[in-house]
This record gives sequence, structure tokens and C-alpha cells, in this order.
Amino acid sequence: MDFSRYLERRWDDLLEQAAQHAAVVALSVLLATAIGVLVGVLTWRSARASGVAISVSAALLTIPSLALLALLIPLLGLGWAPTIVALVVYSLLPIIRNTVTGLRSVDLAVLESARGMGLTGRQTVWRVQLPLAWPIILTGVRVSTQMLFAIATIAAYVAGPGLGNEILSGLAGLGSANALNKAIAGTAGVVLLALAFDFAFVGLRRVTTPRGLRV
Amino acid sequence: MSDIKLVNVTKQYDGQPLPAVDGVTLDIAAGELVVFVGPSGCGKTTTMKMINRLIEPTSGRILLGGTDVMSIEPNELRRHIGYVIQQIGLFPHMTISENIQLVPGLLGWDKTRSRRRADELLELVGLDPVAYRDRYPRQLSGGQQQRVGVARALAADPPVMLMDEPFGATDPITRERLQNEFLRLQAELRKTIVFVTHDFDEAVKLGDRIAVLEERSRIAQYDTPERILATPADDYVASFAGSATAIKRLALIPAERLPGKPLNVANGLPTLDKGGSARDVLDLMIRWGTAQVAVDGGKAVDFETICGLLGDDHGR
Amino acid sequence: MAVDTLSGAFGGATRKSRSYNLGTPLVLAAALVLLYLWLSTQQLDSMEARVLSAASIRDATLAHLTLTAISTSIVVVIAIPIGVLLTRPFARWLTPWVMAVANVGQAAPALGVLVLLSILFGIGTKIAIVTLVFHATLPVLRNTIAGIQQVDSALLEAGRGMGMSRRQILRRLELPLAVPVVMAGLRTTIVICVGIATVATFINAGGLGDIVVAGIKLQRTSILVTGGVLTAVIALGLDWLAGLAEKYVRPQGI
Repeated sequence: MDFSRYLERRWDDLLEQAAQHAAVVALSVLLATAIGVLVGVLTWRSARASGVAISVSAALLTIPSLALLALLIPLLGLGWAPTIVALVVYSLLPIIRNTVTGLRSVDLAVLESARGMGLTGRQTVWRVQLPLAWPIILTGVRVSTQMLFAIATIAAYVAGPGLGNEILSGLAGLGSANALNKAIAGTAGVVLLALAFDFAFVGLRRVTTPRGLRV
Repeated sequence: MSDIKLVNVTKQYDGQPLPAVDGVTLDIAAGELVVFVGPSGCGKTTTMKMINRLIEPTSGRILLGGTDVMSIEPNELRRHIGYVIQQIGLFPHMTISENIQLVPGLLGWDKTRSRRRADELLELVGLDPVAYRDRYPRQLSGGQQQRVGVARALAADPPVMLMDEPFGATDPITRERLQNEFLRLQAELRKTIVFVTHDFDEAVKLGDRIAVLEERSRIAQYDTPERILATPADDYVASFAGSATAIKRLALIPAERLPGKPLNVANGLPTLDKGGSARDVLDLMIRWGTAQVAVDGGKAVDFETICGLLGDDHGR
Repeated sequence: MAVDTLSGAFGGATRKSRSYNLGTPLVLAAALVLLYLWLSTQQLDSMEARVLSAASIRDATLAHLTLTAISTSIVVVIAIPIGVLLTRPFARWLTPWVMAVANVGQAAPALGVLVLLSILFGIGTKIAIVTLVFHATLPVLRNTIAGIQQVDSALLEAGRGMGMSRRQILRRLELPLAVPVVMAGLRTTIVICVGIATVATFINAGGLGDIVVAGIKLQRTSILVTGGVLTAVIALGLDWLAGLAEKYVRPQGI
């Protein structure tokens, strides 16, 4: 069967797998953004605390995904749960690091006038520093998202959702007529999804960057 | 109205052999503009920042309208003290109006009131509210940004303002214009202002009184500009005041107040515009090589008059 | 792969070197000791005993390290010369194109590339190595280019002014000064290789993935934990060693 006929026949399944792939990545990135920004906000003031947060998340990112998933299975079983936890863990480093960098990069004069005007530390972080750091944080989120699309394929091996299933079923059917079609569909699907999200980030950046920073 | 009293205020940083500010005692009357002037690193900014507790004093007392600032919650204190710095520090993600409304918002003013207040202040600092309120800081020139900085500091109508070299980063022409506007503003508002600069000429021009500071913020002389120029307390003050102090003093005397002979016909004398000083009169005389200058309102001022202005301390 | 886009996570050429003390090897050694102690309290059935035998673990570890070492060496041999070439004046126009292609290649999931190549060319170690090299080349390539480009142009002008030839400038100035940046890329490459090598097991290329996959198939916690911990320890340990090397080869004075 040629590839176009294969696509036609399996379109609905593929679409569903792609949707699940996108959903699991998006959900994980959202969670990781909430966690990562919070960790960044809590640690940026102290070089030591933020250094620890960054080193730990870097070390976690160094762990191969299959190994991390293996360690999560005894705790969380198979499927979505270990997948999401693993994906969240892997996306922390770029988000934490960019949050810390972003919060620190705010002009000292801006910080001094915030303090001089009587903003509390918390008000300064939430009303001044985070909006100013947002473009940098968003870049971290974008890097994480791109990374997760690839990592999420491995999760199929522990019964996770998404296009990894298509690739693995190609591997399982090695030698059969549709093996290549499946591998191509799965791989290309992941690349296309990643590209689409990357494109969406350009728009998101435009929409969410404070106007005063764009002029 | 709020007067400011510094009583034996000292700041000692850990690990430093000497205090950064050493036992400063100083009274600033309500509605008075006092300039702290001194070389960089002399502790003048540190002294100023202790008033709004951006730096906490190690010992001594600072009283604001009779209340010890250490008894006021620091953020609450700062919301009632205007603060202007050289680097301006406008929030780039907020519009001009939002920048000005921030402190009123923190103080719980309602939206309409703080919006109206922002417009009023833009008007006051010479920026058209309609044209500027919705712009962002990066769309403004340095001089315009500093005007907004001043407007923002005035937002909640604080009785006290602290200004740290606010015009230091602007070019000489903009700086002079900002200084003039600021003087006009202060004549109207009568805030109690502590103004820090290392530019002695700026201090002379703006200050009701000047505190000339030495190392560790010790006060070498605290007096009016006229008297510091006429009778510097010691060699340090004299060297800081620089040369040509007599000419600088002339700049403090408005030309309108000079005695002169009535002048009915235009007789070809060089004429000084409104708002000039005795120094400008002298400048015109030298430039034109005449001993007489017409000052607006139709009087003629003589060279002898100018020479006699500074009283009997010629020999200094 | 956790790590196949790690270089992206580190935002290009200037991966910040973390300060490494002896903490990392101590923690890793402690993890191995704990694993051993924990395993010795477990009643292992025959299947577990087979997978977790000393010989099986040794073979898997050796295979993993071999895959990583061979792939990393190939990357060095390919990526550094190409990177140097792309910074020469006659080839500079090619650089953005090569980087664009490399970036797109990087975006492809390693698992997909692995499976595609095996379907097309057969399974086994060779194909696993090709996949590893495909994914691990970009960091070294990018950092070689960036490392040479970041050399202060005033230095190069000084070199020219002293009468050094193009080749001498490259060998005596540009390459030594680029070493720290190239090493940072190499470190990322090693981590990527260790990571992708775990899925080599899917195409019968061995490695520690064998143990993890056995754990999943047999549903044995002991095997899962052993496979996971060993793989993580190898990855973190090699990253630590690469970090040491990064410091060690840095020219003195930088």
C-alpha cells in the first residue's frame, strides 16, 4: 500500500494519536510552567538556591527517558500518569533557568524605583519583574515544548498516549507491508506537530508580551 | 507639612573600618528644598536613602513631621515619599498613565480619581495628557521620561520628595530646561525636598539651602547658596564652590530686583529679557562693551550697581 | 529522548558549566550501593536472577558504553572538521543552510529515526550508531562554529599584523580559543548518546535498555529499578566526567 492510501485509510486514528500527543505535551508544559515559574520566583534572589534548582533540573534532564519511565512505573503504573510526570520533569530546566535569568535581568533602576515607591517584594515580583521577564520565560517554555514532542514518543513504550504508538507498531510489524508507512506517519507527525506548536509560540509571544516592551 | 530632622544618623556597613555616614545631624524645614552636594562616594545618597528606609540607619533618629521613620512600615512610608532617581526607572510594560497611577492604586484610590490625577500631573510637568497618557516609556525622550518620573513621584501628593541626581543623565540643554521647570513647580507646590547632586552649580541654582558634605557625609557647611558662596566655611567648601564665586552669586540675584534709572526711550542699549539675573546683565555689558544695560520694564542698570551688589566682601 | 534536544535546552553555544565537586560521584556511588543493598534483600525469582546476573549487567553496561563511545568518536571526527570548514570565508555562506538542515534533523524524534532506519536498512548495532550520530552531531557542529566565531576579531587582526598565515591563525589562535565552547558541545553530545543508546534495545543493539525493557515486559519492579538506576548513574557519571574534561582541556589563561 502506498503512503497516501495508508494515510487516507488511517486518517482518523492518526488524527486521534496526534491530538493525544499534542494534549499530553501541552498539559505537561502547562504544569511545568506553573511549577518552574514558581520555583524560579522562590529561588531567584539567592544564587545558591537558584543554582541548586538549576543543577537538579539539569541532572534530571540528563537521565535517559526510558530510565526515568522505568523508575516511575513501580510508583505510578503505566499510561498517562508516568508520561506526564516524566515530561514535566524534563521541561523544568529551561523554564526554571529562564525564569531566574528573566527575573534577574530586570533593570536595577526599575527595581530601585519599585522599592522607592513602596511596592512590597511580592508586588515587585508579580507586577513588575514577571511581566518584564515574560518574553524570556516564554522562550524557555518554547524550548521545553519542542523537546517534549520528541520525548513523548518514547512514552508509548509504557502505554503512554500519542504518535509513539504508531512508530512502535511500525517496529513491531517489521517486515510487514505497512511498517514503513507507520514509521513515516508517526515520525513526520511528531515533526509537524512540533513545527505547528513552534509557529503558535510566535503568535503567543506577540499576544502575551506587554505592549510597552514591543514598541 | 512635613519637616525632616536627622539626629546623629550613622550608617556602618559590616566589615568596613569606617562608617559610610557618620553622625549626621540636620534640620530641613517644611517646604524647603535642601541640596546635598559632595563628591561621589561621600555618602550623600546613603544619607538620603535612609530617610525612606531604602537603607536602614545603624544608629540615630530620623523624624518626619515629628514621627520616627523607624516606627512606620517601610513600604507604607515610601508610598508617602516621592522618589526620583537619575536612571528614572519607569516601568517599561506600563503606559505613562499607569506608571503614575501605581502608587495611588497601592494606596487604594479608585480608578477614576487616580486617572484624573495622572492627567493633572502630566499637565503640571508640561506633557499633554491626551498625547502622552497611553504611550509607553520607550516612546519618550530622556527629558520627557524624567518629567514623567517627577510626575510619578508626585502622584499621591507626598509632602516629601527625595531626588537622587534626577537631571544628571540629561544633556546640558535639557538639564537646564528641566531645572527651570522644576523650580517653577516647586514654587507652586512647596514640597519638602532632599535633592542629591555632585554638581555644585546645580545645587546653587536649585537649593533653598545647601549641605556641603565631606567624606562619611559629614557636613562641612549647611547654609543658603548666597552665604556658602560669600563665606565658605573652610578650604574644602571653597574648593568645592570653585572659582568665580562672585559671578555665581550674581546669578542668584534676579535682574528685576536691581535698582536702575528709568528709561523712557529706546536708546540703543542692549536689552535683557524677562527672567534674567544680575549675571546675565554683566554678561551683556561685557559682550557689548557698555556700562549700561536695559532691563525689561524700562530701567537702565549701571555697571557700578552690579559691582556694589555683593556688599563689602570684595576682598575674598 | 530525554536528551536528544538537550543542546536546544541549553540555548546554543554557551552551555554554562556547572561547578562540579566530588558531590556527584559520591551521590552516584551511594545510589549504586543502596541499589545493591536493596536487591540483596529481595527474593529474586529465576527470571529476575537471570536478568540481574553480574554477567548480564556487565554485558549491557559494556554495550551501552561502547555504543556511546563509538558514536561520540564518529561525531568528533565528522562535526569538528565540518564546523571549521563552515567558518572559512569561502564556505561561510553555507553555514545558515547547514544549520537549518541540522536543526530540522534534530527535531525528528530519535525513536522515529531509529525505527525508520531499521525498517529501511535492517536492525542492529550499526543502525543504532547511525541514529546516535545523526542526533548527536548538531551540538558539536554548532559549538565548533560558534566557538570559532566568538574569537575576538582584534586578536585575528593582531595575528595577521604579525605576519601569521591563515592556517597559522586557525591552528594557533582560533582553534585553541574555541576549545571551551567545543567541549561544552561535546559534553551535550555524550549525554545525548547515552540517552538514545537506551532505546537501541528496540532494534536489538543491546545496552542498558535491555534491562529496562525486560523489567517492563516481565513486570518486575526489581528489574525496572535496577535498569533505571544504572542507566541514570551512567548518564550522570559520564556527564560529570565530560564536565571534568571540559575544565581540564581549557587553555590556561581562559
